[in-house]
Amino acid sequence: MTTPLLEVDGLRKVFIDEEFETPVLKGVTFALQRGEMVAMLGPSGSGKSTLLSILGTLMRPTSGSFRMLGRELTTLREAELSDFRNQQIGFIFQYHHLLPDFSALENVLFPHAGRLWRETRAGRERAAMLLERVGLADRMHYRATRLSGGQKQRVAIARALMNQPALVLADEPTGNLDRENADQAFALMTEIQRETGTTFLLSTHDRELAERCERRIYIQGGVVVDAPTSAAPSRQPLRMVPGEVVAVVDRTTSASRDDGDRRLA
Amino acid sequence: MRFDLKVALRYLLSNRLQSALLIGGVAIAVTVFTFNAALINGLAEFQIDRVVGSSAHVVIEPSKPTPRLANAPAGTERLVVSQRALERREQIKQWRSVERIIDTLPGVTGVSYNINGTGLVTRGQQTLPVTLKGVEPSRLAAIAPIDRNIVEGEPRLGLNDVLIGRKLANDLGIKVGQPIFITSNQGRERTLTVRGLYATGVDSLDARLAYVNLDTARVMFDLPEGLTEIELKLADIYAARAVAKQLADTTGLEVTAWMDKNQRLREALEGQGSSGSIIKMFTLITIVVGVASALLLTTFRRRPEIGIMRSFGISQRFVLSVFMLQGALIGILGSLAGCFMGWGFSYLLAQAGKTSGRALPVDPSLGQYDVALLLAAAASIAAALWPARSASRIDPVEAISQ
Repeated sequence: MTTPLLEVDGLRKVFIDEEFETPVLKGVTFALQRGEMVAMLGPSGSGKSTLLSILGTLMRPTSGSFRMLGRELTTLREAELSDFRNQQIGFIFQYHHLLPDFSALENVLFPHAGRLWRETRAGRERAAMLLERVGLADRMHYRATRLSGGQKQRVAIARALMNQPALVLADEPTGNLDRENADQAFALMTEIQRETGTTFLLSTHDRELAERCERRIYIQGGVVVDAPTSAAPSRQPLRMVPGEVVAVVDRTTSASRDDGDRRLA
Repeated sequence: MRFDLKVALRYLLSNRLQSALLIGGVAIAVTVFTFNAALINGLAEFQIDRVVGSSAHVVIEPSKPTPRLANAPAGTERLVVSQRALERREQIKQWRSVERIIDTLPGVTGVSYNINGTGLVTRGQQTLPVTLKGVEPSRLAAIAPIDRNIVEGEPRLGLNDVLIGRKLANDLGIKVGQPIFITSNQGRERTLTVRGLYATGVDSLDARLAYVNLDTARVMFDLPEGLTEIELKLADIYAARAVAKQLADTTGLEVTAWMDKNQRLREALEGQGSSGSIIKMFTLITIVVGVASALLLTTFRRRPEIGIMRSFGISQRFVLSVFMLQGALIGILGSLAGCFMGWGFSYLLAQAGKTSGRALPVDPSLGQYDVALLLAAAASIAAALWPARSASRIDPVEAISQ
C-alpha cells in the first residue's frame, strides 16, 4: 500500500476567547489516499469547516499532527504554509468567492500569477484550458460579476485546479446551487478527479452527492466517527448519533487511478 | 506588467469615484504645498533682491590690525582690550594682487574698487554730512544699478562730477549742473558739479550717499595707492559665504558675505521659511490621514477578497505590495496633478500681478516641485503602510466567513 496523501493524527482545535474555551475538534484521526474522492458528512457545528481550514493550512490546530506528501505541516512557518497551500492545495467554497474586479480567466490565473508576481503565457494557456474544461470557453473574458451562479462555481473549480494541487478541499461546494447546477458541478469535479488523479475532500450536507463519492467520513462532535479507508472500507453500520442521520453506504470503487487520464495534470 | 501592479490598478479603477477623490485630495494638498513654496520663496527672493540687489554680495575690507601683546608669564591669563588704531589709515594697499585673485574666481558678475569716506557737503548756509563713495566710472553700476536709478541728469563721473541722491538734492535745494562744495574728513576741499540725481528708494542712501570718481576720492582722502573697500557681485548669491571664506583665506583681509551683514533680513527670511515649513508639514499630514483612512476603508471592504487570495496561497508580501502600490499610485498621480495645479496657480497670480502693476512676489519657478513630488509620494506610501499591513495580516478563515 502506498503512503497516504494525507495523514491526520489526533488533531484537536479549541477556540479560546475571553470567557469560553470551545473545543471543536477533539482528536481527529484519518487518512486520505492519493486520487480518491471523499465526502465528509456531519451536522452543522460538528467541525467540518474547521477541519477543512486546518487541512487547508489556513488555521493551525491546537494539537495533533497532519502530514501531507510526507511533510509535517503543523510545524511550518506562515510563509512556507502559504507557499505549500499555493502549490498543493485547492479550495472550493460554498460561495464561489470570485474576485469581482477580474475576468473569469484572471480569476483562474490568479493563484499562478500571484505566486510568480507576473502573468505568463503558459499560465494563461492553462487557465484558458481549464475554463474550456469546465465549459466556459466562451465566458473567459467576462467579468466574474456577469456570470451566473453555476458558472461562477465552475470558474471557482477551475481556479482550485490552476496550480495542479495534490488535494482539493471543497466546503459545501454545491450548497449554494440548485439541483441541476449542483449535479453539474459535482459531475465536473468527479470527472476532473478521475482525469487528474487529484484527491478531493468534500464537506457536504447533500447525502445524495456524498453517496456518489468513493468514500465518506463522518464527523460528529469533533471526532471522526467512521473513516474507512478506501483500501479497506468499512461496511459496518455507523454508531448512530441522536439528531444525525448518517447514510451507511460505501461504494468501494477505488479503481486504480494511475491509469487514468492525466491530461489536466 | 507586474501582477501586483495590475491588481492595484484594477482596484483603483474599480472604484473610480473614490480613487478620483483621493487623487484630487493629494493634488490639492500638493497644490497648497507648491503654491506656498512659490509664494514664500518668491517673497524671500523679492526681499533679498530688494536688499542685496543694490548692494554687494561680498565686501572686502582692510584687515583689522592685531595689537601686539606684551609678554606675560606663562600660565597667566591675559585679558586683551584693544582700541581701534586711529593713527593708521585702514586701507587695502595690495589690491592689485587681490584683483588677480578675484579674476580667477568663478561666478563673479561684478567688481567695484572703492574708496569710501565721510565728508561734509556745503551749499550756501547749509552743511550736511555725506558718505562719499569713490568708484571707477566704468564700474559705476557694477554693484548698485545707479545708472538705472538716475532720475535727473546722467550717470557720468568725470573728475569733477558727483552723483547724489534726490533727497540730498532736495535737502540742499540743488539741481543738476549746479556746483556743491565738499570737505572730506581728511580736510581736503573740492567743488564738484552735480551730474545726476538718483533715487534708489532707500532713504539712507538717497539722503546720504554721494558718488565721486575714484581718482577724485584718492585726492580727497589722501589715498594715492590703496582702497578702502572692494565689492563683489555674484551670480549665485548663496555662494557668498563660501566665496568670502575663500577670499579671506587667500588674502588675509576682512571679507564679509551679504547674509552676515544683514542679520535682520536673515532672521526675517528664516521666520518666513519656518512658517512655510509648518504649512508644508500640515499638507503632508493631510495626505497621510486622507490616504490612510481611505485605504483602510478599502482594506475593510475587500477583506473577503484578501482572505480568498490568502486561501489560495497568495503571500502576505503580495497583498502588502498591492496596497502599497495603490498608495504609491495615488501619491504619484495626485502629486503630479498638484504640481501642475500649483504651478498654474502661481503662474496665473504672477501674471495677474504683472498686468495689474501690483506685482505679487509669487515665483512659479520656486515651487519646489521635485520636493513636493517626492514628499507627497513618500507620504502616500507611508500612509498606505498601515492599511497594507493590516490587509496582509487578515485571517483568511475569518475574512472568508464574513
